[in-house]
Amino acid sequence: MAEKVEIPVQKWSGRVREVTLGATKEEGGTRTRSVTVGGEATLPFLHFEGELPHPPRIAIEIQDKKPEEWSPLLLKAWEEVIDDPAAWAKKAEERGADLILLRLSLDDAQGEENTPEKAKSTVRRVLAATGLPLLIFGPGQVDKDNELLVAVAEEAAGERVVLGVCEEKNYRTIVAAALAHGHLVDSRTPMDVNLAKQLIILIHDMGLPLDRILMDPSTGALGYGIEYGYSVMERLRLAALHGDTMTQQPILVTPGEEAWRAKEAKVEEGIPEAWGDWEERAIMWETMTATALIEAGADVMVMRHPESVRLVKEAIDKLWVKEG
Amino acid sequence: MSRFIATRAIRGANRIVQEAEDLLEKALAEHGPDTKVTFPNTAYYLPVILGLTGREVATLGDLKPALAQAGSLLHPVPRDQLWTPYLGEALDGGVATLLAEEAIMGIKYALGEQPERLDGYPDLVTAGGEGYCNGPIDDVQLRAWGIQLVDGRMPGFAAIVGAAKSNEVAVKIVRELQMRNILVFLCGNVNGRSIIHQLLEEGVELGYDTYIIPFGTDTISAIYPLGFATRSALTFGGMKGGQAREILLYNKFRVFAFVLALGEVDDLKYATAAGAISYGFPVIADTVIPEILPTGITQYEHVISMPFDDIEGQDDLERAERLVQKCIEVRGVKVKIAEIPIPVPYGSAFEGERVRKDDMRIEFGGKKARALEYLLMRDPDELEDGKIELVGPDFDEVEEGGAMDVGIVVEVGGRKMQKDFEPVLERQIHYFLNAAFGVQHIGQRDIAWIRISKMAADKGFRLKHFGEILYARFKGEPWNSIVDKAQVTLITDPEEMKKWLEAAREAYNERNVRVAGLTDDAVEEFYSCTLCQSFAPTHVCVISPERLGLCGAYNWLDCKAANQINPTGPNQPISKGECLDPEVGRWSGPEEFVYQHSNQSVEHVTMYSIMTDPMTACGCFECMVLVIPEANGVMIVSREDPSMTPAGLTFSTMAGIFGGGLQTPGAMGVGKYYLTSPKFISADGGFKRVVWMSSFLKETMPEEFKAVAEREGVPDLIDRIADERSVTTVEELLPWLEEHDHPALKMPPML
Repeated sequence: MAEKVEIPVQKWSGRVREVTLGATKEEGGTRTRSVTVGGEATLPFLHFEGELPHPPRIAIEIQDKKPEEWSPLLLKAWEEVIDDPAAWAKKAEERGADLILLRLSLDDAQGEENTPEKAKSTVRRVLAATGLPLLIFGPGQVDKDNELLVAVAEEAAGERVVLGVCEEKNYRTIVAAALAHGHLVDSRTPMDVNLAKQLIILIHDMGLPLDRILMDPSTGALGYGIEYGYSVMERLRLAALHGDTMTQQPILVTPGEEAWRAKEAKVEEGIPEAWGDWEERAIMWETMTATALIEAGADVMVMRHPESVRLVKEAIDKLWVKEG
Repeated sequence: MSRFIATRAIRGANRIVQEAEDLLEKALAEHGPDTKVTFPNTAYYLPVILGLTGREVATLGDLKPALAQAGSLLHPVPRDQLWTPYLGEALDGGVATLLAEEAIMGIKYALGEQPERLDGYPDLVTAGGEGYCNGPIDDVQLRAWGIQLVDGRMPGFAAIVGAAKSNEVAVKIVRELQMRNILVFLCGNVNGRSIIHQLLEEGVELGYDTYIIPFGTDTISAIYPLGFATRSALTFGGMKGGQAREILLYNKFRVFAFVLALGEVDDLKYATAAGAISYGFPVIADTVIPEILPTGITQYEHVISMPFDDIEGQDDLERAERLVQKCIEVRGVKVKIAEIPIPVPYGSAFEGERVRKDDMRIEFGGKKARALEYLLMRDPDELEDGKIELVGPDFDEVEEGGAMDVGIVVEVGGRKMQKDFEPVLERQIHYFLNAAFGVQHIGQRDIAWIRISKMAADKGFRLKHFGEILYARFKGEPWNSIVDKAQVTLITDPEEMKKWLEAAREAYNERNVRVAGLTDDAVEEFYSCTLCQSFAPTHVCVISPERLGLCGAYNWLDCKAANQINPTGPNQPISKGECLDPEVGRWSGPEEFVYQHSNQSVEHVTMYSIMTDPMTACGCFECMVLVIPEANGVMIVSREDPSMTPAGLTFSTMAGIFGGGLQTPGAMGVGKYYLTSPKFISADGGFKRVVWMSSFLKETMPEEFKAVAEREGVPDLIDRIADERSVTTVEELLPWLEEHDHPALKMPPML
C-alpha cells in the first residue's frame, strides 16, 4: 500500500518584484512583445508552494563586431552573421532567444575607436532587425561605458532596454541615462549579498523605480566558483522571500561569458582524452552552468551558444510543470 | 520670514500677476484665444505652469485659467500693524509670480518678442540665435546636462540675477563657478545694466558650450532656469505635471541650485526669489537685505546677505571668490577635486613604500626631530576652504639626509562634522600622505615620523604639497560627505610649533578622556558591522563603545563616522532598545538586528558573555578566547601566535572551527582592545578568568594590561597568567596556575 506523503509547505512573507523588459507599440516602443520576469513567491520551480508567474528567460549575447577573443566554436556557430549585429540579432531570435543582449566594443571592426554615433547606429539597426527586448552593455571601461550608453539610451528612448552594467564605482551616469529615457539598468556587484543590496539602494536613491532594476550578483562557471555565486543568489532569494525589500529584484546572471572562459570550454589540445569531444564538452559546460543557476533563482540568463540555449530551454520546460 | 521681505515679495507678486493679466487681455484682443503659445524645442508646454498646476498651455486662451490660478494665490500686502509670520503668504506669492512670469514669456513668444534681442553685442550667439539671448533651454540640452547633474559630474546651477559691482567682478564670479563645473544662468539687471552686458564687454563667450547661458536682461527671464529645474523633475524624477509638491521636493533634495542676486533687489526680484525658495533654492545677495536664516523650505539658510564691500578680502576679486564660496556652502554643493596638484605620482600602490636612509632627502619626527599631526573641527565660517599655509621655512636649508620639526594642522568644518570624528579623520592622514610616491609616513599624533625621498624632493616636492594632498583627500569621496571646508597649516616655525604642540596634546588628552568616558550605558545606539558577511554570511558584529569590532579595525566612533559617510554601508546604527539583562549585556535592539541580518539564523546575542549567546565570529578576529573547563578560566590566543595552546589547538585551527559566522558558547573572537575593557566577559567574571595568554599580547600591550590588573584588584595578575613559553598543554597548565595562585581557581565554576 502506498504511503501518502505530505509535502511540507513553507509560507513566505515576501515576493520578488516583477520587471518588464522592452516596450511594444502600445507601451511606447517598437518591440513585438515585452518580457516580464520575476514575481516569484517561492523558491525556483516549487509550484506547489507558491506562485511563480514567469519562467526564467534567456538572453543571447551578441556583439557589435566580430568578437575575435571568443572561442572558435562560438564563431563557427554564428559564422554567417557574426560580422553584422543586426543579422546576428535576427538569427539569435530564430534560435530561441527571449531577449537580445548587445555588447558594445571599445573599437569597431576596422580597429577604430567606437563612438556614440557608431553605437547609436548599431542600436538602431539591431532594434530594426529584431522584435525582442534589448539589453545593451558597454565595453566595460568607465568613461567609454558612460559615453556610449548615454548616447544609445537616447537612441532607444521608449524601448525599455536594460542598460549595463552599473557597478559601485560607476553607476550614476548610467542610471541618469535610464531616468532620462525611460530605461532599466543592470546592477552588478561581486558575489556578496550586502553589496548587491547596497547598490540596489543607491540606484533606487537616485530616483529609479525598483521595477526598473535587475540585480546581477555575478557568478562563476561550473568548476570556477559556481558554488559561491550559487550560494549568494540563494541567500539573496531567501532574503527576498523573507521580506527584505531591497533584495526583491529579479536576478540576471551571465553563465555564457563565464562558462566560455573556462579551460574545459576553451581548450582543444593537450587535455586528457577522457574529456571527450571538445564541442560537446564546451556546450555542456555552458548548459550545466546555466541550469545550475536557474535552480538558484536566476530570472535572466545571458548565454552564447545556440545549442546550449536549446538545451537549457528544454530543461526549463521540463521543470516548469505546474501540476505535480 | 522677514516681514520686510514678505511685504515686498507679496507686493511684487501682486504687481506681476496684474501685468500678466493686462498683457494677456491685450494679446487676446489682438490675436484671439487660439493663437499658439509654445516654447521652442520642448515637449513640456510652459514647464513651470505644467509642473505646478498640471495645465498644458498651448494657446493664449489656455493661459487665462492659469493666470486665474496665480491670482488665487495672491494675498494682500501685510499692513504695518500685522506681525504674524508671512512665510506661507510670501511663498504663495512667489509661486504666483512664477506662473505670471511664465505666462508673460509665453505670450511674448506668441508675439515673437522672445528671446530677447541684445543690440550692440554681435558676439552673442546662443540657441536663441545670433544677437539673441537664449530663451528656454531645449529638451535635448536638458537631458544632456540633466544626466550630468543627476550623476554628479555637474554639482549644480547658479542663477545670477542683476549686475556685479564691476565687469572684473562679474568675470571673476563666473570663472569661479565655471571652475567648479557649475552651470551659470544669467538674467536680470540693475538700472539697465545686466551681468550679461558685463560679460559680453569682457569678451566672455556665452552659450551651451561654455555652460554660461544668458536668458535675458530682465528679471522675468529668471523663469527659464526655474523651468529647467521643473523639467528636471519631470524628466529625471519621473513626475507628472501637477505633482507640485513632489516636483518642489525633488528640486530641494536633488537639484543643487542657488540664486545669486547681484545689486539692488526690487519687489519683483523678491517675489521671484520667493518662488525660487519654494524650489529649495536659497538666495544669496551681495547687498544689505534682511536674512532668513532658519532652515525649512531650503535645506539650509533661505536668504543670506553678504554686502559685497564688507566681505573680507584684499581686493574685489578675492571678495568675489569668497562670495561664490559662500553660495556653494549655503546650498551644500559638493565640489570634487579632479587631480591632486603634486609633482610626484599618487596612489594607494605607493602606500607600503619605504624611504631608506640613503635615499632620504629629509625626515620629520623620528629620533632627531618632532612631527605632529592634529586635525580639529572648526565652525565653517572661520575657515577659508582650500587655504594651505606654511608657517616658517621650508626644508631647502636643511642639509641632505637631515631632520626638522614639522606640525601638520588640518582644520575642517562641515554641517555633518562632529567633534567625535576628529580622531577618525586624523587617522586618515597616515594613509593620505603614504600614498604619495617618495613619502613614507609612520605613527600618528605627536609621534608621527615622515620621510621624503631625494627623488621626490628633486621633482619639487615641498611641505605645502602635504597640504595639497590632505586638502584634496578630505574634500574627496567619501570624506566630503562630512567635510565641507578644509584648510591645512604646515608649521616649521619653532614658536608656532611649540604653541600647536601644546594645543594638540591638550586635545589628545581630551580625546582620551572622552573615549574612556564613552561607556555602553552612556550611549543610545550601538553599531553593526556586516562587512564580513561576504564570507561569513551569518556574522554580525555589534560594536559598542566598550567592545570594538572583533577585527580590531572599527571602534564605535569609527562606525559612527562611517555611517555618516556611507549611510547605506555595512555600519548601521542599532538602537539599544530595552535592556533585557544588564549582566550578560542583552538588549532587545541588538537581538532583533542580529536575527534580521544573520539571515534569521542567530536568534540571541549578548555583549559581555562567552558562555551565554556570545557574539558570532567571522574569521578575521584579532584574538580567540576559549574556555578551558579544567582551569575554570579562559585562554586568549593572538593571531600572531603560531604555537600550540593548552586547548590542543593552534590559532589557525580555531579560526577554522569557530569562524565563518558561527555562534559557539565557550568560544569567542575578539579585537585585542576588548581584552582591556571593563566589559570583557564581565558576565563570566571578567579578566580574572584569563589563565593563559599569548606572550605576544603581554609584550605588545604591557601598560594596558598593567592597568587592567590594577583595576581588577590583582596588580601582579599578568605574571600569574601562563603563556606558550611556560605551558603548552592543559596538563601543564593546572599545576602552573596553582603554583602561581591564579585567582580563577577560587572563582565560582564557569560551567
